Order: sequence, then C-alpha cells, then structure tokens
Amino acid sequence: MPAKHIGAICRRCNILEATLTVRSDPLCRDCFVKYVHTKVIKRMEAFRTRHSTADQTRVLLLPVSFGVSSITLLHILDGHLKAQNERTGRKGFALHVLFVEEELSTREELEKKVGFLKERYGRHEFSSIHLSQIFKSGGNSDEISQTRMEALFSTIKSATSLTDVAIILRTRLIVQFAQDSNCEGILWGDSTTKLAEKVLSETAKGRGFTLPWQVADGMSPYGIPFYYPMRDVLKKEIIAHLDLVSPPLSPLLANGILAPTIAPPSAKNTTIDILMRQYFESVEESYPSIVSNVVRTTSKLQAPLDANISLCKLCKLPVNDDKLGIHGWGGDQAILTDADEDRLGLCYGCSRAVGREGAALLP
Amino acid sequence: MAPTPCELCSINRALILRPKNHQKLCKTCFISTFESEIHHTITTTSLFHPGERIAIGASGGKDSTVLASVLKTLNERHNYGLELILLSIDEGIKGYRDDSLETVKRNAQQYDMELKIVGYDELYGWTMDQVVEQVGKKGNCTYCGVFRRQALDRGAAMLGVQHVVTGHNADDMAETVLMNLLRGDLPRLSRSTSIMTSTPSAAAAAVPSQTKPSLTNIKRSKPLKYAYEKEIVLYALHKKLDYFSTECIYSPEAFRGSARTLIKNLEAVRPSAILDVVRSGEDMAKLVPGYEDTCAGKCAGSTGAGAVEEEEAGCGSAAGRSGGGEMSKMEQHLTRNERADEEELEIEIKLPIQVEFLKDPANDAIPLRKKGRKGVKSASTPQSSGKPVTKQTMGSCENCGYLSSQKVCKACVLLEGLNKNRPKVAVETSTDGEIVSMQQAREELPGAVAQMSVDQS
Repeated sequence: MPAKHIGAICRRCNILEATLTVRSDPLCRDCFVKYVHTKVIKRMEAFRTRHSTADQTRVLLLPVSFGVSSITLLHILDGHLKAQNERTGRKGFALHVLFVEEELSTREELEKKVGFLKERYGRHEFSSIHLSQIFKSGGNSDEISQTRMEALFSTIKSATSLTDVAIILRTRLIVQFAQDSNCEGILWGDSTTKLAEKVLSETAKGRGFTLPWQVADGMSPYGIPFYYPMRDVLKKEIIAHLDLVSPPLSPLLANGILAPTIAPPSAKNTTIDILMRQYFESVEESYPSIVSNVVRTTSKLQAPLDANISLCKLCKLPVNDDKLGIHGWGGDQAILTDADEDRLGLCYGCSRAVGREGAALLP
Repeated sequence: MAPTPCELCSINRALILRPKNHQKLCKTCFISTFESEIHHTITTTSLFHPGERIAIGASGGKDSTVLASVLKTLNERHNYGLELILLSIDEGIKGYRDDSLETVKRNAQQYDMELKIVGYDELYGWTMDQVVEQVGKKGNCTYCGVFRRQALDRGAAMLGVQHVVTGHNADDMAETVLMNLLRGDLPRLSRSTSIMTSTPSAAAAAVPSQTKPSLTNIKRSKPLKYAYEKEIVLYALHKKLDYFSTECIYSPEAFRGSARTLIKNLEAVRPSAILDVVRSGEDMAKLVPGYEDTCAGKCAGSTGAGAVEEEEAGCGSAAGRSGGGEMSKMEQHLTRNERADEEELEIEIKLPIQVEFLKDPANDAIPLRKKGRKGVKSASTPQSSGKPVTKQTMGSCENCGYLSSQKVCKACVLLEGLNKNRPKVAVETSTDGEIVSMQQAREELPGAVAQMSVDQS
C-alpha cells in the first residue's frame, strides 16, 4: 500500500504530506493511524463507559493468535481503554487475553512472545490454554487429552481436513473458556479480508449453510456473543499500520507471519484455507471494495428457522436433521449408499473432514 | 506389479481414476456409472414427463454433445418417452461457430435427431463478429450471453418446445456460486443452483397441456449439474464422441475467469470440492432473504422456481483468461458508494411503487420487435399488495414480449445501444442494383422476428 500520490497532501488534515494511499485517498501517517483506530472503535460502541456500571466490569475475551489482526486489535483496544480511563476514570469493559497453544514445540517461542505482550499490555488479564484441553471433559489428565487429540488427528488424511478440524476445535475451546471464565462476549480479530476468506473457504468445504453465523456480530449459536471489531479494516491496512505506531507492532508477531501466502507446490500439502488466503491477498491489492462487498453480502443471509435442528457433533452448529451427512441430496447420485455416515451426527462439511473412525474420537 | 482391478466389477483392469472421488474403474464401469448418475438426477428430480419434447441446447462442444448422447442412451434404455431435438444458436463468430455447427450437424445425423439452427443475425440483426467490431473485445460476453439466453427460448418457441436442457456441468455451477458471492449478487445466488429454472407461468403449466409454448413459459434445466467437467471429457473420449473443442475466441468476464481458476485449484486440493461448493450453493439459496416468497411453497426438492431472466450462463467453453475490466468497473462503483456512504452524501429517496406485472399467459404469441411500438403497453394488472420494489417481479418486455423485470428487456436495451451507433448514412447496393439505405435495412430487421412468429403459428 505505498503512496501512489508522491508529494501529495493528506486528504484528511490537508496539512501533512501523505505517506500512503488508502482506498484511493492520500493520507498522512497520523490520519491513517486515526482512520484504522476509528474503524475499530466505532464497532465497540456497545461497550462505552456510559453503558458500564461502576461495580461490575464487563469482561470480553480476546483470543490472540500472534497474527497481524489480533495483535493490532489488542493494541488498539488497550489504547482505547487507557484513553477511556483517563477521560472518565472508568472503563467500558475489561479485556481477558487468551492464547491457544497448538503444538508443544512452539512453547518456548510462545512464552517469549507472551512475555513481550505482557510487558507492553500488562494491564489486562492473560491466560493460555492448550488445544488438547478440549478433550478434557470428565477429568481427563493432560496426557490423556493429548493422546486423544493425536489419535483423532491421525485418522485425518488430508491437510485441508486437518486444518479445518483444528480451527473448529480451537473455536470451541475458546468459546468454552469464555463461558467458564464469565466473559460477556468474544472479540475476534478477523479483518475484512479474513472474513471474506472464511466465507469462500467455508463455501468450498460444503458449509454454505453456516455462513450467516460466520461473519455476523451478535449472539452466536454457541450461546455467547461474537464481535468482529476489525471487520471494516482490510488486512493490507492492518499490515501498513503495524509499523506506523511506536513502538512498532511487528516484533510482537509470530515469526514469518508477514510473508505473502504461497501455496506449497504439491496440492497434497495445500489447504483450502491457504488457497483462499492467497486468492484474497491478490484481490485485495487491486479490488479492496470487492473484498468488503463479499462480507457485506454474506451478512445479509438469514439463519434458517427450521424445526428438527440438531447440533453437528464437530462444529456444533445447528443443522437440520435431514441435512446431516453427505448422502441423500441431489449431488449424491449413488444408487446404493452407505448411509452409516449420516448417522454419525455430522453436518455435510464436517462429514467431509472426518470419517467414521474420526467421528468416534471427537471431543 | 499386478494390474489394479476395477473397484466395481473386480474383473477388468482399472484404467480410469474417477476425478470426482478417485475411484479406480474400468472403462465399461465408468461409462455405466456416469450414465446411471445422470439417470439418478433425472429421476429423483422428475425432470421430464413421458411424451415431452425436449430441445437440447447444442453448441457442438463437449458438454452439450455428451448431454445429447447420454439423453439418447437413457431415453432408449429407460423408456423416458422423450422426443429429443437439437437446438443450435449461431452467434456468428467466424472460425469458431462455423466448425462447431458442422459438428452439430454431424451429431444430428449420428443421433438421428432433428436440428434447428437459429442465427443471431436473423434474431437481432447483428452477428457477434459485428458486435465485437462495434463494442470491442471487452464486455462483448455480456451481449453474447444475453442474446443467447433469449435465442434458445426463441428457438424453442419456434420449434413448439416447452423445455430446453443445457449442458451446464458441476464445474459451471460451482463457478457461478463463487462468482455470485464475489459479485455480491444474492438474487442470482438464490436461483443459480436450481436444477430447473422456470418462469411463473411455466411452473403453473408444468402439467402437460396442449397450450402452445410461448416465450414466457419455457423451462430450462441442467441434467449435468452434478457431473464433473473432467468426467464429461472422459466420457466423450471413451465413447469416442464427435465434439468440437475450440474455445470461444473472445475472452470471458473477469469474475467468471477468477472463479474458474479458483475452482480448478480447489479441485486439485480436494476432489470433492466442486460438489461441495454446489451443495453450499444449494443450502445458501435457502438463506437468501425472500427465498420462501420466490418458492411460494410450491417447489419441491431442488427444483427452484426462480425466473430465468438474465441468469448468468457464461460461455461454457471459454478459458480462464481474465481481462479485469468487469472487476475494476465494479470496484469503482463500490468505492463511489462507500465514499458517498461515509460522507453521508446520499439521502434515501423512496420512489413510488411501480412494478410491472406478468403478461396474461394465455396471450402466447411472440410480439413483434418493432420500433415505434413503445406506446403499446403490455397488459398490467393493478398491484394488490403494496410490496416494495426491492424484489424482482417478472413482467414482459414492451418491445419484444420476452420475460423481463424491467420495462424493456436486456437484449432490447443492448440492441438499442448497438443500433444507435450503426452508421445511419451508410449506403449499399442490393443485388438488383437498387440502392438501399441502412435505415431501410434496419426497418426490415424486425421483419425477421415477425417472420419467426408466423412460422411457428
């Protein structure tokens, strides 16, 4: 997002020289930082100080992945809370920051990164939890949970399905954590670009029916509200913003996160999520409004009000009973079908991700 | 190493890796599986009824050739009792259509089917080559698509056929789902995945009746909507079908090209992805606001009653080269909207409710495409419920009577633009030495359409 208008004056303040071009406007550094902040804070209007009571603080969970968006969201909200406090002596809400560890091998790096974050944003509560904790129902020990997770993952053959299942389990774990720690809602860091990616990749995975819940602000089917304060900011804007604040945010990120997405040469190691990320990184370059239009359009879809709703055993989203499994629709043209898979209680998309063997191992 | 036996018959050697699910099959089993899957689609959706006359939209390409071959096979094998007719559109693209039409003519002989060829020149007074000469290579697909849509219906009406089948395959369907998401086009998203699209009057006349087909009640269906493009190619190859494999020389729109590349990449990563996108599309159609109204509780299963007008067909044969013109145009448009929104320059002005209503279906003659008939309005009934204009309501075009949500259908709008720019003073010599002006020649064009409606009555 370098400035196309070299030497131009910032369109907002009309004083300073523009340093970059944002949606075809030349902007100076200060105005751009303000632009990003305003877009995020505008989304947090429900959490202004006037809506908070002195005795009870509203706690919101902020899961941090050390990607550009979640770190930026933490930075912006931290500044916002500080300003609120200075101005009114009160805070509209409190943040609870959560990290989900996925692989033990990264623990050292993670601890270092968490250390950096605590140093800079130490006012907030911090927790970390391992993905295998989702298997910890009924008092399983850490070892058993870990073994069960590994057993499930070993039944999944493709890279796409593996990522898919890991993301779903992570979401479920975060929801569970938020509910257990009395958080009023979850703040997701997804940018416009990320939401558009999600729309197309869920479509590609056969989960078109879940789209109304994938991008909507407000009560989620999990029984806790989801908020996407970064929904109006493009990923490239967030990246440009990283080093315009001081001190810069990029040292806080996970290693290698800023490299452009390149799909592995072999289709076997590529995932649908990587393909979509790559696709939208390129669309975003020349056609940013098309990216936001995808999200805007998707949010117009209405969640179904069907009867006979069950929850899919993996993604835990509501699905009509006769829509479970991959059989029994027009595209399933087999004359004799093994309908067993339909009795697994999985939605169409999740049936593609885990087989019968995996379904038995789900948390 | 011992040869791998076929997973179905376990006798023959497996020669084909099914693109759809990576099943290893022998040639015979592949062909019979492919056919029985199409049969399954046809029977589970009750696509046809005995005695129905069906026009197959035939381009000479792989999809329509396979469709014609499979329908002929299944019609004989399962006694569908269908009368199959090939219907070809001659867009007038030199070096592309000439050869493919020759293929269709051979197909007609091979399959022993009646063939009807309808030319853009006789329908609209313009060949695609002439259109491209005028509008350039960018955006000409819009013309071609809009013209073709009507041409198939007009051809069907000429043949007295009420049902046109097209060769759209699963890849096309998936592409359209992604494209409509990228374009933010919910109305199209809600109807593009239906196996059958029909106009409200056609839905009412779904019971076989002797009413003469009119332009506004022709059904469209896609029996190959779940068939993978790669399997269609394999089927054509192993059945040694005679098809024409040159792609259209004019490039497709950027959105479709972009969606097409994405679909191919997805398929490489997960073979079921094409089918999964189609499934998502079908599920999403039900989430589009107003879906229940469109369906009116009448449509069962996967048969949607969405109107066919301006449904995006694209060019089945075009490759994924993208010009980007359409995308940048939309980007500019969206950016302007966003800016207006941000600066609050826009004030919502509510227009008085004005919705064109459907013409009396009993009046099934094709009205003449004539200039100066603008005063003659199609019979419209007063609106009963004061619904806002947000939803498409189908009426018919004031000029030609074709199904349209606007006063004038898209083809007539495009034609008006084309005709406006045609040199008015051009002079040419007719065969008998008489000097005829272009103006005069244009006056005669509607005559061609008039002739059509005479022919079919």
